[in-house]
Amino acid sequence: MTLPEGTGPLAGVNVLDLSWIVAGPTVGRALADYGATVIRVESPSRVDTARVVAPFHADEPGVENSGLYVNVNAGKWGLTLDLRISEAQEIFRRLVVWADIVCESFTAGVLSRWQLDEPNLRRLKPDLIMLSSTLLGQTGPYNQVSGFGSQGAGMAGVQDLTGWADRPPAGPYGPYTDYPAPRFSLTALLAALDHRNRTGEGVFIDQAQAEGTLQLLAPALINVKNGGPALERRGNDDPQMTPHGVFPCRRTSDRSESWVAIAVASDEQWRALAEVIGANPSLTIGERREQQAAIEATISNWTAQRSAADAEEALQALGVSAHRLSNTEDAANDPQLAHRGHFHRLPHTLHGETTVEGPRYLHSETPGRPQRPAPLYGEHNRQILSELLGLSDEEIEHLAASGALS
Amino acid sequence: MLSPYRVIDLTDERGVLAGQMLADLGADVIQVEPPSGSSGRGVAPFFADRPGESIYWAAYTRGKRGVTCDLEQPRGRDLLFRLLESADFLFESSDVGRMAALGLDEESVRERFPQLIYVSISAFGQTGPKAHYAGSDLAIWAAGTPLLMTGDDDRAPLRVSQPQAWGHAAADAAGGAMLALHARHQSGRGQHVDVSAQVSAAQSTLAQVLAYQLGASEPERFGGGIKVRGQGLRGTADVADGYIVLLMAPGPAVGHFANHAVRWLVDIGAIDAGMLDEDMVTYADRLAAGQANPELFPRLQENMRAAVASRTKQEMLDISIAYDLLLVPVLTVADLAESPQLEHRGFWRDIEHADGRIVTYPGPPLQIFVGGEPFGYSHRPPPTLGQHNAEIYAEIGVDANELEQLNEAGTI
Repeated sequence: MTLPEGTGPLAGVNVLDLSWIVAGPTVGRALADYGATVIRVESPSRVDTARVVAPFHADEPGVENSGLYVNVNAGKWGLTLDLRISEAQEIFRRLVVWADIVCESFTAGVLSRWQLDEPNLRRLKPDLIMLSSTLLGQTGPYNQVSGFGSQGAGMAGVQDLTGWADRPPAGPYGPYTDYPAPRFSLTALLAALDHRNRTGEGVFIDQAQAEGTLQLLAPALINVKNGGPALERRGNDDPQMTPHGVFPCRRTSDRSESWVAIAVASDEQWRALAEVIGANPSLTIGERREQQAAIEATISNWTAQRSAADAEEALQALGVSAHRLSNTEDAANDPQLAHRGHFHRLPHTLHGETTVEGPRYLHSETPGRPQRPAPLYGEHNRQILSELLGLSDEEIEHLAASGALS
Repeated sequence: MLSPYRVIDLTDERGVLAGQMLADLGADVIQVEPPSGSSGRGVAPFFADRPGESIYWAAYTRGKRGVTCDLEQPRGRDLLFRLLESADFLFESSDVGRMAALGLDEESVRERFPQLIYVSISAFGQTGPKAHYAGSDLAIWAAGTPLLMTGDDDRAPLRVSQPQAWGHAAADAAGGAMLALHARHQSGRGQHVDVSAQVSAAQSTLAQVLAYQLGASEPERFGGGIKVRGQGLRGTADVADGYIVLLMAPGPAVGHFANHAVRWLVDIGAIDAGMLDEDMVTYADRLAAGQANPELFPRLQENMRAAVASRTKQEMLDISIAYDLLLVPVLTVADLAESPQLEHRGFWRDIEHADGRIVTYPGPPLQIFVGGEPFGYSHRPPPTLGQHNAEIYAEIGVDANELEQLNEAGTI
């Protein structure tokens, strides 16, 4: 017995997704977009934080209202299981036998308390591919540190590196380690699947989300580890691109602020910009750095007289890298994102319709897409238990009575 | 794991991480540079003891082999085609249109090599109204929406001081390439994978990029925290030697961590033991029902800020682990270099460069065990310019004579 199969290159690949919030579920979402059958297992007692985080449909908080949850869980089947209950553990073990891939993000050691850790699961399924994803990894003195990606941003250096030199760190938007981490784990899981298909060998992946994020700080880390200076936060300054920053534009009536980002990467781009703003086009980068404050004031004078959209278009026409600082309304109306079909409308049982992001890439032959909306809490319990595992109504009632499902 | 596969990596600084991710998983990745060297070799920072040698380029070409090949020359393009005969993937990140100008666009190349997976990384994508926009880390972050959400509310928005946008896009490209590999197992055919850094940036907003379309309010930036309905909530606190990230809030999702904080504050004598009777998991509900003191939680926050202010980051981390708090230090780059956690996990790798010096690199992004054994990560140093010309060109049948001709013609 089985669930209806998805379509795409991963059709027939079964994934058991016990992870939560963002870094783990994002991986399952990508696998589902390309045809994998993904069962998202949620705790009925401890609500997934993603369900109680904005943006909410119509700004109304509620466990079925989070746009974050629907974005990272579209395409999955939903099952509630309280893994503290032995009857739930038994169901889980049967699903492990069904699965090719198990993803989880419990604090290190939690699964071993229930004998559901990797060595135990591998006895049930020798060629299992398993991803354990935590902030700091399964091992080490700080493997018990609790936290979300916001804590991860602190532990991965990004918090400190985002801000003005004369101020405390402002930090990046949201739980930053949740953004790079799934990009690394997805790639490794797909390599593991390829390896297993060729060799029959199972794979275990211990992901420290912070260590994934540190890949994007590698130049700074190599520098400090090899006798160079430690990078510190420096606003929008860039020693190789000057001018480089965010400049205020004329506001439209419905906005409290409006900005354009400008990055000058070469003398050629500077000449083009200088002609427009009325600066000396022959300045070298060294001179531009010396006169940075004056140049930025001249740019601000120019940008303040036009809308961010006009500034962006005028500068791009000259080959200067510039873009308005889009808010989410701008993103909704961005012709480039629309051209790529980045936003997908999906039906939603409670909201009629919802919007999620598309896959991260356009495949010319096998494009991915969200194949179904994200599950409501426990939406597919009965279908999974009866159609996939073949439980009788009686057995399901017994299971429910044990507290395993709610 | 990816040892059967070969990558021809034509990327510059914009896409150079993608091939490395596959190299780290075992693929044979050949970085192809123009004979004058990639523009990536000019990207800061530079080694303190080797002025002009780019750390950035070394960071993301580690693990690859390297050849030079002038794609402006017809002879160079022929050489590339010979390289592609044994390749599974091609990565490129040049300005949109440049590959087509060289006759190396995905359609032409894939017509010749139908099994090839051709991956393009660009700022906005290969087609569409902004495809020819000049990209940059800052403009991409602006176009994807995270830039406007980041920074102090009384100043201009800002980016991460180590540029991030291209890294996210290149990392997505690696995943997209692997999906195409699985598709090839099904169909026997390669395909084109078009990665837009703008999209990758949009995917780095905690789904806030959807706010307008969901009828939700626009996210607002707030230094060291978030704004909810115009109200700034600080998520950090000052400690003796820097800052910590501190999340202490009532409610069903995280209230138990606040209870743990109460326990610590009682233990150090900062607050009265009576506070232990207040359950922060239910506090918000009780408050709404008029059954809790509204001043209690704000006072608890003040007590917490006062208690952490005199302690160091390390002390607070130890306390956080002992009491299970949602609290971690804000580590600086200098702190990371000394992190006991990274040390314990063997994160750092000493790699011998071609010139014999030992350079310390950050370790692999993941710890992987294949068939129960730790996966053997390569310790291959970044290639010097054209380091593997003789070796790799010999592998594809270029003999000594031809190699000399290619050298003389400036092709390599």
